[in-house]
Amino acid sequence: MTALLAQATLEPPVVSWLGIAPEVILGVGAAIVLLVEVQWHPRRRILAELTGAVVAVAAAFAVILQRFLDAGQGIDTLLPFAGMIALDGFGVFARYVLLAVTGLGLLAAWRMIEGLGARAAEMLALVLLATAGFSLMAVSTHLMLTFLGLEVGSISLYVLAGFSRERSESDEAAIKYFLLGAFASAIFVYGVALVFAGTGEFNLIGVRDYLTGVVLFEPGVILVGIALVIVGLAFKVTAAPFHSWAPDVYQGAPAGIVGFMAAVAKIGGFAALTRVLVSAFPAMIDDWAPVVAAISALSMVVGSVLAIVQDDIRRLLAYSGVAHAGFILSGVVAGAAGTGEVWFYLSVYTIQLVASFAVVAAVSGSTMARSALTDYAGLSSRQPFLAATFAIVLLGMGGIPLTSGFVAKFGVFTEAWTAGFEWLVVVGAVTSVIAFFIYLRVILVMYMDDAPDQVVAAPLTTRWVLGLVVLATLVFGLFPGPLLDLAGNAVPL
Amino acid sequence: MLSWLVLLPVLAGLVVLALPRRRGELILPVGTALSVLPLALAGYIFAVFEPMAGYQFVNRAVWYEPWGVSWYLGVDGISLPLILLTTLLVPVSLAASSSITNRRKEFVVYTLLLEAAMLGVFLALDLFLFFVFFEAVLVPMYFIIGIWGSERRRYAAIKFFLFTAFGSALMLAAIIGMSVLHANQTGVVSFALEDLMNLDLTPAAAGWLFAAFGIAFAIKVPVFPFHTWLPDAHVEAPTAGSVLLAGVLLKMGTYGLMRFNLALFPQTSVDWVPVLAVLAVIGIIYGAAVAIVQPNLKKLIAYTSVSHLGFIVLGTFALTSGGLQGAVIQNVNHGLSTGALFLLVGMIYDRRHTKMIDDFGGLQKIMPIYAGFFLFMIFASIGLPGLNGFVGEFLVLMGSYASLPVYAILAAFGVVLAAIYFLWAYERVFTGIPDKEENRILADLTPVEIGVLAPLAVVIIVLGLYPKVMLDKIEPSTEAILNRIEATTDYEVPAPGRLADVFIAGGEE
Repeated sequence: MTALLAQATLEPPVVSWLGIAPEVILGVGAAIVLLVEVQWHPRRRILAELTGAVVAVAAAFAVILQRFLDAGQGIDTLLPFAGMIALDGFGVFARYVLLAVTGLGLLAAWRMIEGLGARAAEMLALVLLATAGFSLMAVSTHLMLTFLGLEVGSISLYVLAGFSRERSESDEAAIKYFLLGAFASAIFVYGVALVFAGTGEFNLIGVRDYLTGVVLFEPGVILVGIALVIVGLAFKVTAAPFHSWAPDVYQGAPAGIVGFMAAVAKIGGFAALTRVLVSAFPAMIDDWAPVVAAISALSMVVGSVLAIVQDDIRRLLAYSGVAHAGFILSGVVAGAAGTGEVWFYLSVYTIQLVASFAVVAAVSGSTMARSALTDYAGLSSRQPFLAATFAIVLLGMGGIPLTSGFVAKFGVFTEAWTAGFEWLVVVGAVTSVIAFFIYLRVILVMYMDDAPDQVVAAPLTTRWVLGLVVLATLVFGLFPGPLLDLAGNAVPL
Repeated sequence: MLSWLVLLPVLAGLVVLALPRRRGELILPVGTALSVLPLALAGYIFAVFEPMAGYQFVNRAVWYEPWGVSWYLGVDGISLPLILLTTLLVPVSLAASSSITNRRKEFVVYTLLLEAAMLGVFLALDLFLFFVFFEAVLVPMYFIIGIWGSERRRYAAIKFFLFTAFGSALMLAAIIGMSVLHANQTGVVSFALEDLMNLDLTPAAAGWLFAAFGIAFAIKVPVFPFHTWLPDAHVEAPTAGSVLLAGVLLKMGTYGLMRFNLALFPQTSVDWVPVLAVLAVIGIIYGAAVAIVQPNLKKLIAYTSVSHLGFIVLGTFALTSGGLQGAVIQNVNHGLSTGALFLLVGMIYDRRHTKMIDDFGGLQKIMPIYAGFFLFMIFASIGLPGLNGFVGEFLVLMGSYASLPVYAILAAFGVVLAAIYFLWAYERVFTGIPDKEENRILADLTPVEIGVLAPLAVVIIVLGLYPKVMLDKIEPSTEAILNRIEATTDYEVPAPGRLADVFIAGGEE
C-alpha cells in the first residue's frame, strides 16, 4: 500500500486532453454558439447547423480517439487525468450513443428551434452542455467527477424543462424537476461521501481494490452509501418509486426537446449506475443486486400499469419509460456480464424515445399544446408516414419480435435469468405484455379512429428522424449481431 | 427451399406494396396470384417429401453466434400438412376478400406477412426463431381484426393480442430458462429443439416449463377455460381473418403442444395426460353445447372450433398412434371445413349484412348452390363417412379409446352434439318457406365464389376417400414421438393403441 502511494506521488499524473476531447468540444461549442448569437445575430438555421457541426466534430473525435487507442498512438493510457477518466469500451460506446441521440434530438427539434427567435442559441447551448455533462458522467471513474457531470447535465435539463415560459405547465415542470432533481443529487452526493468514509477512495478502481484487499467486519457505512448512490441515480433514470417527476416534466417541457432530455438523462444515469456498481462494487454484488432487482420489478409493474390509464401521450410515454427503466435494470443485476445487453437496450430504446417525441412534437402543432391521445385519432389518414413509422417505433418499444426492442428485452432477460433472478424474468415477461397494451392502444387510435380536421404538419427533419429510427429498429431487429458485438465491448475497467 | 417458402409471401407483399396507387383494381388479383406461388412450392415439397427421413429440407444458418440462435427450418410429417393447409387457405381467403374496399392494399400486405409468419411457426426448429414467428403472427392479425373487423373490432383485436401475448410471455421466460440450463449443463448456448430435448430436467423444473409452454399453447388452441378470446376475435374479424384464425392460427397451439410439449417434456406430458384430457373433453362438450344456442351464425361456428379443437387435444394426449395421427390430420380437416364455413358466412353477410340465424329462412330455394356447399361443409365438419372429418374423428376416438376409454366415450357425444347444432342451424337458415322479403332477392353464388369454395371441397373429398396420401407422410413422425416417449419414460402405449395401420389399410379399399 505504501509503495503504491509513494509511486503515485513520484510520478506526475498523466493528463491527456485528447482523452476528453469530445466533452471539451461540446463545452466549447456551447460557448461558441452563444457568442455567435450575441455577436452576429445570424438566422436560427445557421445556429442550428453550427450546433449540429459541433456534435459531428465531437462524434468524429470520439471515433478518432477509439482508433488512436486501438493503435496505441497519441495516448498511452486508458486512464488519463490521473485516473479520473476511463477510456474503456464502456465509455466509448456511451459516447457513441449519447452523440447519436443528441444528433437525432437536434434534428427532431429543428423546426421548433427555427421558431424560437433569439432564444434559440440558449436552447442549443443547453443541449450541448447537457450532452457534455452526461458524457463526462459516462466516462468518469471518479465519483466527484461523476457528480460534476451529473450536475452539468441535470442543470441544463432543468432549464430546458422550463423553456416554454408562456405555458404554465412548463414552469411547473421546471420547478418540480429542479427541486426533486436537486434532492436526488444531494442523496447521490451523500452516498458518495459515505462510500468515501468507508473506503477512503473516490476512485472507482481504488474502491474496488480496497474492497478486494480487506475483509470488512462492518460494511454498514459502505452499504448505505451504495444504497444512496443507487437511489440518486434511479431518480435520474426514472425508476420507480423515484419516477414521480417524469410525467409532469415530459408534459410541460417543450415537445421538440423532451425526447432528447429523457434520452440523455437515461443514458447518463444508467451509464453511471452501471459503471459504479460493476466497477467499484463487484465484490458486493450479492448485496446490491437484490436491491436493484426490487427496483427493477417495481418499475416494470408501476410503469406499465400506470401507463394504461394515461390519456395524454406524453404522460403515457413517461410511464412507459418507467417500465423500460425497469427492463434495463433487470440487465444491471447481472453485473459485468450484463453491461453489453444493458447498452444494447439503452441504445435502441433511447433513439426510439427521441423518435416518439418527434411525432409528439409534430402532432402538438405550433401551440405545443396538443398531446391528448384523442389528437392522434385517424393519424394514419392525415399523415400516413408519421402514423406508420410511429407504429413501428411503438411496436419496437413494445418488444415485438423482428424489432430491435425484442432483441434488447431478450438480452437483458437472459442475463437476469443467468444471474439467478428467474422471478424477475417472469415479472418482466408478464409486464411486457401489459406494456404491449399501452402501445397497441396508441396504434389503435391512430389507425382505427375517425380523424378530426386538425392538420398535422410533418417537417422534413422529423421525417428524417423517424426514417432513421425505423430503419435502425428493423435492421437491429433482424441483424442484431454487429450492434450486439459492439455493445458487448462496453465493459467498464 | 424452406427459407424461400417463408420469404416468398414477404416478397409478394413487397410487390403488392409497390403497385401504383391509381391501379387499385390490380391489388387483389395480383396478391392472390402471387400467393399461389407458396402453395406451388408447398405442393412440390409434399411431392418429394420422404416419410421416413425425419426433418427434411433443413435450412440452418447462424443468426447470432454468442446467443446460440439460428435460422433453423425443417419440415416433418407433423408440420407438412399444416404447411399445405396454410398455403392453400391464404390464396382462398384473399380471393374471397373482394368485399374489402377500404385500404385494400394494406389488407393484402398484412395477409401475406401473416402467411410468412405462420409458415415460420410451423417450420422453425430453433425455439428462439419459433418464438419470433409465434409473436410476429399477432401483429398482422391484430391489424386485420382491428381495421377491417365489424362493430366491436377494437375490443376483439386487443383481447386477441393480449391473451396470446400473455401466454407467449410465459413461454419466453421458459425458453430463456431452458437455454440457460442448457448452457450450464453443456457449456454450449443453443436454442435448437434437438439440443433442448436432451436437457436433464428435475421433475419440478420440467413441470414449470411444461406449464409455461402448455398455457401458451392452450390459450392459442384454445383449450377450455382459456377460450374466451376466441368467439370475440372470430366474430369481429373480417371473413379472411376468421378463415385464417380458425384455419391456421388455432393450429399453432395444437402443433406447439405436439411439437414442443411432448418432445421437450415427455415424462411431464405423461403425468399431465389426465388434466389435458379432462380439459379437452370439457371443451368438446362445452363448445358444442354453447354452439347449439347461438343466435349468431358466425359465433356458432366459432364455438364449434372450441369443440373440434378439443378432439385434437384429446388425440394428442391420448399418446397412441391413432390419437396422434388423428390429431395431425384433424388439424387440416378442421382448417378446411371451418375455413369454408366462415367463407360461406362471409358470402351471405356481404349480401344481406346480417349474421343472425333468425333473419334467414328458406334460403335453399333462393340460393341452391350456396345451400349445397353449406350442407357439404357441415357434413365434412360433422364427420360424415367419405369426407375428411370422419377420418380424423374416427382416428382420434379410436386412438383415445385405447388409452383413455372413458374420455373417448364422453368425447363421442361431441359428435352427436355437432350433428345437432349444425343440422338445427341448417334447418333454420335454409329450409322452410322464404318468408322474409329481403331474402327473396338474394343472388346465388358467383363463379368466383364457387371457384373459391371448389378447391376446398375437392381436397375434403380426396382426404375423405383416400386419407392414405396424407397419413403415409404423417405416420413416421408421430411414431417417432411415441417411440421417444416410450424410450425416455416408463409409459407404454397400450396394445391396441398401435393398430392404426389396420385402418389405413382399410381406407384403401
